[in-house]
Amino acid sequence: MFYLHLRNELWKLFGKKRTYIGFAMFLLAQNAMLLAFRFTKWQSDLERMLQGNGYLAEEFISALTVAVIMLVPQILLLMPLYTTLVGGDMVAKEAEDGTLRMILSRPVSRFRLLLVKWLAGAIFAVTLVLVLGAMALLFARIWFPWKGMFVFAPGHAFAILGAGEGWQRYLLAHVFMAVNATTMLSLAFMFSCCNMKPAAATILALSYLFVNLVLEAIPFFDRFEVWLLPYHFRCWLHVFNSPVPWVDVLQSQIVLVAANLTVFIIGATIFQMRDIKS
Amino acid sequence: MIQLSNARKEFGRRVAVNDLSLAVPSGEIFGLLGHNGAGKSTAIGMMLGQVWPTAGAVRVCGHDVTRHRARALQKVGAIFESPAFYDYLSGWRNLEILSTYTAPTSPQRIREVLDWVGLSQREHSPVRTYSHGMRARLALAQALLPHPELLILDEPGEGLDPEGIHEIRQTVLRLHRELGLTILLSSHLLSEVEQLCTRIAVLHNGRRVFQGRLEETRRRNHWVRLQVSDFAAAVRVLESSGSISNHREGERIALRPGVETDEVVRRLVAADIAVFEIAREADSLESFYLSLMSDYRGEKGAASEPEA
Repeated sequence: MFYLHLRNELWKLFGKKRTYIGFAMFLLAQNAMLLAFRFTKWQSDLERMLQGNGYLAEEFISALTVAVIMLVPQILLLMPLYTTLVGGDMVAKEAEDGTLRMILSRPVSRFRLLLVKWLAGAIFAVTLVLVLGAMALLFARIWFPWKGMFVFAPGHAFAILGAGEGWQRYLLAHVFMAVNATTMLSLAFMFSCCNMKPAAATILALSYLFVNLVLEAIPFFDRFEVWLLPYHFRCWLHVFNSPVPWVDVLQSQIVLVAANLTVFIIGATIFQMRDIKS
Repeated sequence: MIQLSNARKEFGRRVAVNDLSLAVPSGEIFGLLGHNGAGKSTAIGMMLGQVWPTAGAVRVCGHDVTRHRARALQKVGAIFESPAFYDYLSGWRNLEILSTYTAPTSPQRIREVLDWVGLSQREHSPVRTYSHGMRARLALAQALLPHPELLILDEPGEGLDPEGIHEIRQTVLRLHRELGLTILLSSHLLSEVEQLCTRIAVLHNGRRVFQGRLEETRRRNHWVRLQVSDFAAAVRVLESSGSISNHREGERIALRPGVETDEVVRRLVAADIAVFEIAREADSLESFYLSLMSDYRGEKGAASEPEA
């Protein structure tokens, strides 16, 4: 029965056109960035930076390097938007449309329903990240050769890696990006469990994330940055460092898993207490 | 089949359902009547475990809905006004989705129910292409899939054209006759309730003001249409003689038990008031309902509940 309920949620989720907005926008954004990278001075700036650090630029301007460069702004800006869009819809849209009332006239527990909905959302988030990573690499490979990897994110990563090791780290980074995406979705999902419109749930989740970002940018909050989600979201960049700071990465993962669990419990409690009316 | 005992529901300061006790016996078509905001949908929400009662108990099919919702709803189907579906999915897929929340359902059972409701030609089309009537039939199909013993219909005729309403009426009768279902029907359409139901309950401002068999509503009618030269004077005369209990609309009087129209005419003529017309109201559910509502509007009605 659990499998059937999960299957239902996946049918509902992936049957909707708006679920694919994120995939389509990533596709557009990546190609726009690739064109910009190929035909503007962006590429020459990177070459200058590599050569200034004593590396041969042509060895590291590669598909892997460009793929990571493309991922950074997309993970920061687009990923929250599309994960919260879907997360905010998951319960609130069904309540708004009236289908939730149809489901809850049947002998299914609210907790079970919410759990399968969250799982379907998590599957969406993981799929979005994997497709994003695969597309970034695929499109970058069309324009750039398969060579070594250079990653530079001020304050988080500075790495020069061979193609083989770079590929492995690239894959590993996606595991952590998937946790980030799921956390963003869970946040919107929690708001979606309240009696509010789907758009309100999405906006509240985005607002929370942006407030975190703003606070993090204020120097006074430096000492509190571990309490803010974006600090832990950036742990995917740390996996490119050598050696990988596993303790920091693991701490961030524990915080994110705990955040997921917390918002799910809050959402489930609200949903359990709610009256479902037309 | 359904038992509400002193159920109460508050939404903030507003009391939607107040001390409601209701019994729907097995095998009946039970009508739930009341004005907008009377508490019908809230009462149905409590029966389906969608609305948590503030106080009281709600039992469906012998189980407490608040504590054992899954057991209580195992043999229950429900249809709401303007049935909602996943419009971007086919009718078949909608049925597959909704039925699994009760129990796994075989494709054969889905086909059987689609045939029963007459929707077997369009089951693989997206629901957004369905007409209002087809959506109503799909709603019926989803309610019938888990082999229900109790069917709860919340305003099923809402938004349908006369043909659609007629079709729903025939279907309800067929469900009762062929499948022997107990049916709870909440509706504004008094003529529909009158044609379908064997027993009714009337809600007013969250309270039950009547519950009984449909025949009782016909016996209870005590309103008389009266056209006289001076209605106000006639009311004064009849009130002073204790012949009437109420009056409304400048042409209707409610006779006290035991008082007949000939006595009214005699008293009015004796008081020199010309009587042009006097007739008992037709014994329809509508007149019963209107008189009941009239009784319960204001403090006068609240003091004397004619509950069965």
